[in-house]
Amino acid sequence: MRIEDAPTQMAIDEAIAMNRLTEDNPNTVRLYRWKPSAVSIGYFQSLEKEVNLEECSRLGMDVIRRITGGGAVFHDYNGEITYSIVAPETDPKMPRDILASYQVICGAIIQGLKALGVDAEFKPVNDIAAGGKKISGNAQTRRYGVVLQHGTVLVDSDIPTMFRVLRVSDAKISDKMIKAVEERVTNVRRYLGREVPFREARDALVAGFQKVFDVSLKPGRLTRGEERTVEELKAKYMSAEWVHQR
Amino acid sequence: MKRAEYKVPGGKLLAAEVQEKGGALSSVKLVGDFFMHPEEAIMSLEEALTGSPLGEIDERVESFFAEGDIILYGVAPGDFVKVIRLALAS
Repeated sequence: MRIEDAPTQMAIDEAIAMNRLTEDNPNTVRLYRWKPSAVSIGYFQSLEKEVNLEECSRLGMDVIRRITGGGAVFHDYNGEITYSIVAPETDPKMPRDILASYQVICGAIIQGLKALGVDAEFKPVNDIAAGGKKISGNAQTRRYGVVLQHGTVLVDSDIPTMFRVLRVSDAKISDKMIKAVEERVTNVRRYLGREVPFREARDALVAGFQKVFDVSLKPGRLTRGEERTVEELKAKYMSAEWVHQR
Repeated sequence: MKRAEYKVPGGKLLAAEVQEKGGALSSVKLVGDFFMHPEEAIMSLEEALTGSPLGEIDERVESFFAEGDIILYGVAPGDFVKVIRLALAS
C-alpha cells in the first residue's frame, strides 16, 4: 500500500490511466493511503462550499480536486484505504455501461468487506453501505480509452473529524431528513466493534478484486513512463488553477 | 452573484452561481457532486449558457444535451434549468 501525498496519489491514478493503452501496460489495481490526511473533492464541486479550508489548514491536511465527479471525501491517514482500478473500456470483464461497471467494481469492494465480516451492499449510483450507513464512496471517469475508478473504504476513519473538514449543505441534510449526518456514515471498526489492521483490510480487498474479476493480482511498480507522467501531472494537481477551478 | 442549491430527489446535489445583466445570463457556474461524462462538457454547457436571454435557458440546455454525446448520473438536463432559475429568483 503506497503512502503518498494527495497530488502524488491523484497523479499516479491518472498516469496509470493515461499510459495503459499507449504503453500496453497490464490492468492495474492499486490500494493506497494519503499522508498527510487529505480531503478530495469531485471534479464539479465548489472548493469553498464543500471544504472547511481553515480547519484543513489547521490540521495540516492536503486539499485536492479529483478528475472524477462525485462528492467530497476525507482521506484519513489513520483510518482509510483508497483503491483505484484501471482497465480498457473494451475489456471483456468491464461492462461498457457506466452504471453496470460501478456495480461490478464495487462488487470487489463488497466482497472484500464481506470477508472482513461486514455485510455491505451496493447503493447505486456510486455508494456502498453497511447497516444502512455509507462505508465506501466511489467515482469513475472514462478517458484515454480506459475506465478509471477510485474509491474510499472507511476502515477506521475519524468520523467527527470528517464532518469538521467537510461542509454538508443544508439542502442535502433536509432532503434526507436527519439531524446528524454523522449517523449516516460508518466504518469497518465501528461496524465490527473490533480493530481491523490495515494489512488485514488490504488483503481482504485484494482477494475481493481477485475473486470478482477472476484474476491473480501481481505486485508491481510504476513503469518509467508512468513515473514520468506522475511528475508532469503533479504540477497540475498542485496548481491553484486546478484546485480552485470551481 | 446569485446562488441556489437544489437536491435532486433520489439524486445528487446541484448548485448554480449566476449573474444576470440586461435580461441575459452574463455568467453561470454549475457545481455539485453529480457525474457528467465527459467531465469537461460542463465548461461547454456553461459557455453555451453564457449570454443566454433568460427566456432561452431551457432551450439552450435542451439542445446542448440533444446534440452532445453526454452521459449524466444523479442529475437530468432539466435539473440544470431548475437550479439556474432558482438562483435567478434568489
